[in-house]
Amino acid sequence: MSLLTPHVGSQLVDLGSAVLLLICFAIVAQRRLSACVDLFALQSVFLAATAALVAFLTGIHHIYAAALLTLIIKAIVIPRILRKVIERLNVTRELVMNVNVPAGLLICGGLVMLAFFITQPIIPLGFLLTRDSLAIALAIVLIGFFTMIARKKAVTQVIGFLVMENGVFLGAAAAAYGMPLIVELGVFFDVLVGALIIGIYTHRLQDAFDSVDTGRLTTLKE
Amino acid sequence: MAWPLAILVVTPILAAVGSLLASERRAVEALQCVQAGAMLASALLVVERVIAGGALSASTLLQTDALSAWLDLIIGVVGSTGTLYAVGYMGEEMTRGHLTMRRYCRFFCLFDLYMAAMLTAVNQDNIAIMWIAIEGSTLSAALLIGFERSKAALEAGWKFVILSSVGIALALFGTILIYYSSEHVLGVSSEALRWSQLYLVAERLHPSAIKIAFIFALIGYGTKAGVAPMHTWLPDAHAEAPTPVSAMLSANMLTLAVYAILRFKIITDRTVGPDFAGTLVVGLGLLSLTIAATFFLVQRDFKRLFAYSSIEHIGIALLGFGLGGAGIFAGAWHLLNHALAKSTAFYGAGLVFLAHEHKFLDRVTGLLVHMPLSGTAILVAGLALAGLPPFGLFASEVLIAVRAYAVRPEIAGVFLLLLALAFATLLYQVFRMLLGTPGEPGRPLSKPCRLFAWAAVGINVAVLGAIGVTVPPGLTSLLDAIVRLFNTTMEMP
Repeated sequence: MSLLTPHVGSQLVDLGSAVLLLICFAIVAQRRLSACVDLFALQSVFLAATAALVAFLTGIHHIYAAALLTLIIKAIVIPRILRKVIERLNVTRELVMNVNVPAGLLICGGLVMLAFFITQPIIPLGFLLTRDSLAIALAIVLIGFFTMIARKKAVTQVIGFLVMENGVFLGAAAAAYGMPLIVELGVFFDVLVGALIIGIYTHRLQDAFDSVDTGRLTTLKE
Repeated sequence: MAWPLAILVVTPILAAVGSLLASERRAVEALQCVQAGAMLASALLVVERVIAGGALSASTLLQTDALSAWLDLIIGVVGSTGTLYAVGYMGEEMTRGHLTMRRYCRFFCLFDLYMAAMLTAVNQDNIAIMWIAIEGSTLSAALLIGFERSKAALEAGWKFVILSSVGIALALFGTILIYYSSEHVLGVSSEALRWSQLYLVAERLHPSAIKIAFIFALIGYGTKAGVAPMHTWLPDAHAEAPTPVSAMLSANMLTLAVYAILRFKIITDRTVGPDFAGTLVVGLGLLSLTIAATFFLVQRDFKRLFAYSSIEHIGIALLGFGLGGAGIFAGAWHLLNHALAKSTAFYGAGLVFLAHEHKFLDRVTGLLVHMPLSGTAILVAGLALAGLPPFGLFASEVLIAVRAYAVRPEIAGVFLLLLALAFATLLYQVFRMLLGTPGEPGRPLSKPCRLFAWAAVGINVAVLGAIGVTVPPGLTSLLDAIVRLFNTTMEMP
């Protein structure tokens, strides 16, 4: 414990959050669908590690439970569902995007600055240990949102949504020291069911449209 | 004792399990009728007790105040007629062979779960559990919208699930920001997530954190409420979902999302004063109204027409809530009347769809003559939705205009102009369907379908007419209590 002074602890939490953000950029730059899923799983592992670190440093035990759930649901179960979906599809790469990769990375850089700008007035309110995580969490939420807009394939849109969820969870675990346990359980349940339902939809879209390119969904227009 | 509250939330869950296990159509029908009756009765009992006692709690998990009771009233009345209507409508689909018994059972299971999720969300003191329940209603709605599995239904369902997932994730971020700010005042515990506690300490919360939280909640839940510019999923979902689901989306789910925004607005109003949230809400309300009013005329699909009318009315209600004071009274009144009128409109439209098996506005004429039931339903609902007296929507629109004139006269001007436009275009479209020479007669509907539709439309129209003339005194005191929650009074400035 002597090694982990609050200062070092705070640096470690920041490091964990920064790695999460870095993986977001990797997802934005990645065209291969299966690699995107792997990156998302990796991000979830780091998220669980960061949450566990916060739990260890603060001594709030229920964050351990949340970290464990993250590891099981987001790093193992959901990536497995997504890989199954991809296996059924006839595409492995995303060739056409709404926003190309270099422009996307630049926009994401802008989003990170925006996130720091938005959270500027409320950062001093946070706990000393995890102060900067809130800005990073918001940045991850915004990048996830951007990924959903920038990509056309249903699977990458789902990954964008899950990245958003990871950002929200980082905000909860790091900045707010975790939500009460019953809330965490409920949120995880919803995320899992949500991922299942989106998975079901992807299957049905593939069957009906012979594609998961959401650009083809054009029947319903004014 | 708070047993009506427990019954209200638990019976839909039991009915969902029962429907899934049932193997006979008659059993499902009976179960759903019981469920509709129980929901209506227990909702009315809850409302009565809240009027008498101010609040109701069954445990730390289920709690009801005036605003929750108002939502119980809306969901209870419209939800029970919706359940009856669904029994007739889905039964007809099954008779025609569009639906297997297994899928019929699954439909009602999802339908009841959807009701249960909404009722849990509104009778809740915990802001995060409310989020979980609202997400639950989103997920069940997602499966209901794509239920028919046609290409269009899948596309609509996909749009809904993606857009509302994004919205709900943003709303969760807003919820966490509230917690982030309140745990410094109330400590790191569930207490810091409870409305009742948050209201008491609102003045000590960090203003910037609450402002940012409100913006996230407004965008997040606003997406689910179909507020422009996040409304793009709404017309598709309403048009492609099975009609009982369209009616419930419009009448309950949009109202529920507005309710969630209001909960955040109450905290924000108490922390930073009413102007910050008020301005944002008024802006979005007017934008929704503008978009809806301009899109009425280009609609070729009658279910889409009513969907745009939902965007319009949610916008009007938000405008009322944003203006504060008497506007809050009018906004809440507007939500109830809109739910009744809009579900009636969809009940009528659903019968037309069953008879003609298409949704083209142009090819439906003379409804009043050859389909009297759906013609009457669409006529009454159309007049109410256009804002004509003696319906409650007229009263609330006038009240909102008066309030707007007192606060900012230019808002009143824009509001009245848009209302006039919406009035003319909506009624033009509705009367095109109702009058004229009757076209093709369409397929006849079976007797049970007509019977259930009669019951649903009858109850809705009766309540709509009864409360249109005067606001019952009990409801007035409930509305006053809602206005007081916002820390303001009915007086004009």
